[in-house]
Amino acid sequence: MKVFRSHLLICGGTGCQSSGSLNVKKALLQEIEKRGLAEEIKVVETGCNGFCALGPIMVVYPESVMYVSLNASDIPELVEEHLIKGRVLERLLYREPVTDKIIPTMQDIPFFALQELRVLKNRGLIDPEKIEEYIARDGYAGMAKALTEMTPEQIVQEMLDSGLRGRGGAGFPTGLKWKFAAQSKGDVKYVLCNADEGDPGAFMDRSVLEADPHAVLEGMVIAAKAIGSQHGYIYCRAEYPLAIHRLNVAISQAKEAGLLGKNILGTGFNFDLEIYQGAGAFVCGEETALMTSIEGKRGMPRPRPPFPAVAGLWQKPSILNNVETLANVGQIMLRGAKWYASIGTEKSKGTKVFALTGDVANVGLVEVPMGTKLGTIVYDIGGGIPKGKKFKAAQLGGPSGGCIPIQHLNAPVDYESVVQLGAIMGSGGLIVMNEDKCAVDMARFFMDFCQDESCGKCTPCREGTKRMLEILTNITKGKGKEGDIDLLEEMASVIKDAALCGLGQTAPNPVLSTIRYFRKEYEEHIREKKCRAAVCSALFKSPCQHTCPIEMDIPSYIALVRADRFEDAYKILLQTNPFPSICGRVCDHKCQSKCRRGNMDEPVAIKFLKRFITDNAPRPKIEPVAVTRKEKIAVVGAGPAGLTCARDLALRGYSVTVFEELSQPGGMLRWAIPSYRLPRAIIEREIDDIRQLGVTIKCNTRVGKEISFADVSKEFDYAYLAAGAHKSQKMGVEGENLKGVYGGVEFLRDFNANEDKWLKGDKSLGTKVAVIGGGNSAIDAARVALRCGAEVTIIYRRLRQDMPAAQEEIEAAEHEGIKIEFMVAPLKIIGAGGKVSGISCQRMTTGDFDASGRKKSVAIPGSEFTLQVDSVIAAIGQVPDLSFVPQDSGVSVNKWNCFDLEKGSKSRTTNTRFYAGGDAVTGPDTVIAAIAAGHQAAADLDAAIRRTNKEPIYEAPAREKIEIPLIIDEETLESPQTKMPELESAVRKTSFAEVELGFTKEEAIKEACRCLRCDAQL
Amino acid sequence: MDRRILINLKIDGKDIAARAGQTILDVARENDIYIPTLCYLAGTTKAGACRVCLVEVEGARSLVASCCMPVSPGMVVKTNTEKVRAAQKMIVELLWSSGDHNCLTCEQNGNCELQNLIYWLKIDKPRFAIEAPRYNQENTNIMIQRDLNKCVLCGRCIRACNEIQVNEVLDFSLRGSHAKVGPAFDEDYINSACVFCGECLQVCPTGAITYTQGKFAGRPWEMEKVRTTCAYCGVGCQMDLFVKDGKIIKVAGNSDYGKPNEGSLCVKGRFGMDFIAHPDRLTKPLIRRAKGEELQEASWDEAYSFIAEKLAAIKSASGADSIAGLSSARCTNEENYLFQKFIRAVIGTNNVDHCARL
Repeated sequence: MKVFRSHLLICGGTGCQSSGSLNVKKALLQEIEKRGLAEEIKVVETGCNGFCALGPIMVVYPESVMYVSLNASDIPELVEEHLIKGRVLERLLYREPVTDKIIPTMQDIPFFALQELRVLKNRGLIDPEKIEEYIARDGYAGMAKALTEMTPEQIVQEMLDSGLRGRGGAGFPTGLKWKFAAQSKGDVKYVLCNADEGDPGAFMDRSVLEADPHAVLEGMVIAAKAIGSQHGYIYCRAEYPLAIHRLNVAISQAKEAGLLGKNILGTGFNFDLEIYQGAGAFVCGEETALMTSIEGKRGMPRPRPPFPAVAGLWQKPSILNNVETLANVGQIMLRGAKWYASIGTEKSKGTKVFALTGDVANVGLVEVPMGTKLGTIVYDIGGGIPKGKKFKAAQLGGPSGGCIPIQHLNAPVDYESVVQLGAIMGSGGLIVMNEDKCAVDMARFFMDFCQDESCGKCTPCREGTKRMLEILTNITKGKGKEGDIDLLEEMASVIKDAALCGLGQTAPNPVLSTIRYFRKEYEEHIREKKCRAAVCSALFKSPCQHTCPIEMDIPSYIALVRADRFEDAYKILLQTNPFPSICGRVCDHKCQSKCRRGNMDEPVAIKFLKRFITDNAPRPKIEPVAVTRKEKIAVVGAGPAGLTCARDLALRGYSVTVFEELSQPGGMLRWAIPSYRLPRAIIEREIDDIRQLGVTIKCNTRVGKEISFADVSKEFDYAYLAAGAHKSQKMGVEGENLKGVYGGVEFLRDFNANEDKWLKGDKSLGTKVAVIGGGNSAIDAARVALRCGAEVTIIYRRLRQDMPAAQEEIEAAEHEGIKIEFMVAPLKIIGAGGKVSGISCQRMTTGDFDASGRKKSVAIPGSEFTLQVDSVIAAIGQVPDLSFVPQDSGVSVNKWNCFDLEKGSKSRTTNTRFYAGGDAVTGPDTVIAAIAAGHQAAADLDAAIRRTNKEPIYEAPAREKIEIPLIIDEETLESPQTKMPELESAVRKTSFAEVELGFTKEEAIKEACRCLRCDAQL
Repeated sequence: MDRRILINLKIDGKDIAARAGQTILDVARENDIYIPTLCYLAGTTKAGACRVCLVEVEGARSLVASCCMPVSPGMVVKTNTEKVRAAQKMIVELLWSSGDHNCLTCEQNGNCELQNLIYWLKIDKPRFAIEAPRYNQENTNIMIQRDLNKCVLCGRCIRACNEIQVNEVLDFSLRGSHAKVGPAFDEDYINSACVFCGECLQVCPTGAITYTQGKFAGRPWEMEKVRTTCAYCGVGCQMDLFVKDGKIIKVAGNSDYGKPNEGSLCVKGRFGMDFIAHPDRLTKPLIRRAKGEELQEASWDEAYSFIAEKLAAIKSASGADSIAGLSSARCTNEENYLFQKFIRAVIGTNNVDHCARL
């Protein structure tokens, strides 16, 4: 045998071929020839390697270095570096998606390392068109054993003992199927292989056929021996030309080698088979339809009984097994049932191949033991969700399956568990969906597929799927009606129960499972015409506007920036947002997460553009609004929710008084967010505008102290309670009451009230500070502490990607020199002389997934350590302080210490005269959510008053018409988001000057030009 | 399988003994338990397509189509549970709303299985918007009219065409809700291999395939049904004439009459009745008394006497073998038997033949 110094295994699966692997191979052969290496280095074209997203892939043996995303033009350099100079070519190696770490060898890449290969054991290792290579990897040894040493009964028994279940989806025990067919009388029987893989997103059967076709043939011969068959068919869809080609090659090689056809291995056993090409109907994957199709008839299912084991193809006893099922058989014979059953769960043995696809970093084929956690597949093997998006659900089982949502990431993937969760194993298509996917639209997509693929034979499937699709389409187009969900559920249950074959019986599954887990999304579509994922485009003008809680007209003001009409842009801002200048600085910009530009490169910097407008255009003048209505309204709390509500009511002619406990209005804006993020003058300017309208703001007036709740109730007709959430949550550890332990918001409030004292050193945190928590207020507290001169360490018990704080804030903090200890939890605070002297901590490791989809942190025993600190700031969350509301007020407060809202209302409490909103209802949330709550309450309150007075509903005065220019670029080139200019970090550390400096005009216009104008109606 | 083996089961609480190989539907019908059907067509493959005949079987994973589920020992079947009715209603509503089932001028009004089902299930109106597929009516031949907007895709016509008449003209084309029935290449009947036996028409449960001749000619309840034997040939097909005001509107087979035709008819028997009321049709005997004379109307007695006289004269003058008899394929077997007996025994010659022997 000829020996080579190196083997280059280049993937020749359909995936890699379509990304150009054949050209790479050609270039490789040429280069090797050119360099005179042909005697030393061998190039092998293998079947699918599995990591399809990174194709073309090449693995260099013996060192098993894997090169990805190759191009023919890379080859000369690759040959020079790796094969001649013996150095790996780093730029073509695999990089881990989250950490960007380079991993050169295949076995160290988590995608491969965490898999358990049985069905795919030869993938990427052998040339599928060479039977010798298959035989060298134990190929046909199982068949030889079955044919020479085992009786048909023993084969069936071995299959039964192995616990192998049908991998096509239904999970029927393979051994039992064979047993029934073996017991059927008759000398003509058929062994059929189902290679009519049709689920959207599933491609494991194709890969097996392309990478290891003999494994399927071997399985079929063993099956034939078990049931007494002499003839078989492989029903393969015609769209798999490479699989069919390799099967044909395999069949002729096997025949030549005496492993197929007459007198196999000299045992006297005959079995021949042929390929039947399916014309592409999904329903032909159903066993009776498949057989009808082979018979040359229209591929429609027939009723069962009779079952195929009794009367199948041409009414003869037949067994039909899936490609993956058959590919397991040879090894079960060779290594025994016990070996096979050694992995998996109690009722689901062995491994399962999943086609991992969708919104996941590592798209490809994955083989894992049955019972592997969904989260392990998605995160550890799949590399998680790209672009920092959140996992929403995984669709398992294709259009016949269901989705498994984030709260079930710990679910073991086996036949029983997935059914319990409303999905099915199916053939193993696993489509990962991130938060940008709409549940209703997804159900609509799969229903569209099913109704399109319905053969039309039975009524429930033919007409039912069509009608369900119609209802779903209506919902996604904003034409949903009350009762639609009930009707969908009723139809789903009838269709499941009444349809003739598996296609119809399972077609409603995606609808049922999305209703089960995402009913609220359905309701939002129907009642509020809202698609939270911003997918159903009939419901909105643009995704950004639709995603904004107050639906700011983002495309319009961006268009106006581009047109250099900043003043008009400002007017657009004020139409919906009383605090655009504030939001331009501190909004969490949900709009940007759905910006379509983000699919191309990066989202448009909507927040920065908003700020640019308010910084650069003259602020439109505010005219006082006369009080025209008799009802007097009190607002408790001068935060963004309260002030928005006050402003809206004043605009509608009400007399409004706002009560504020602290010395300045603004709530969290003023008392928690540090001034380097939000200069005080900015807040004051926008609040002044509200005063201008005629709203009275009474500071230093706490309801329940300076004015009683009863007086408010007496003096005012209605009240809006927006007291915020200003109390830090306790950590629940020893030493929490020591001097030097602060709550996050309490510290920030104290700092903002006494900035001078803190900066002069009259008040001090000491030299070393630990901040506990991972939210925005933890970062705020840490950055303020840093500016007070302390050395700051943030202690967070989870991973970086789990931090709720804004990414840019985390980066800014680290940039300024704050140390973040991830995966560390506080154990107790150590005191000396009644004062903090240190904090004892413990390192954590990741455990199961929690309901939010993040990995739980689990303590590592013995990892305790102590940090010497002078102060501890606990910023792990806040709760409202609603002690000002008397128990007999009729306003109910729930166990989370938030206001309870009346059922069906979005702002009214349990007392008809009291409305509530903002953090006091939701717990800590964003500024923009508070503004939205304020708008909602004002509208609801006004509507209720008018209803009581039997007045017509409020009609807003006509808005000034602002013509919006429409310029659409012919061509859009990739260009990243414009960077926000910032203060240098050396200056920042000691200063409370605003860190972000704002766009220049040129930068703003350039950024505005990046908008793709999704709102355009052409 | 031994069909005499008895199987005990329960349907709607009633203990029933059935024979192996029977379906739930067969057994229910034998025992006067009503299960509605639509696609079921006796004597053809059990399709299980319409799903109207669903029943609940204890222990079954889902509802069961009674038309194709064989009975098994100890089976407990329920035909009228809430679940069964809800499914049947939904299915019938879906069928109703999928087509142009407007009964006002439909020829099948009063004789329509879909109409009867809707009434029996007490459905006021479907919950879905009615969306007929807008096919053109097929009026390109003078016998069979097709309006696929009224087709419920039960497939009975297809099975009748392929399995009863074995003409193999009809099948489904297209898929899912676009599926439709017709000859190959979506041709009209007249341009296809169709021989116009009309079997499809006879088995159609709705107004999708109807008699062109019967159009606007009479409502089912205005017509009198007259059983008769087809006069076209000697097979003796049994059939029903539908008669209004003494005029035959249409002709149908009737499987209740059994042999010889089991309800089937051919193109002549079904559609060829124009001659009955044709002005050229002979209704009285005519005699030409002398060469060159006009034919003259005569009574039956006159005619018989004339024939007897002439035959007797010929026989005595020239012998019996100078006479030959030729009978018609349109006579019945009995008539043909009598005719040859008459020629052989009465006339006394073996010169007798029959037109269909040629």
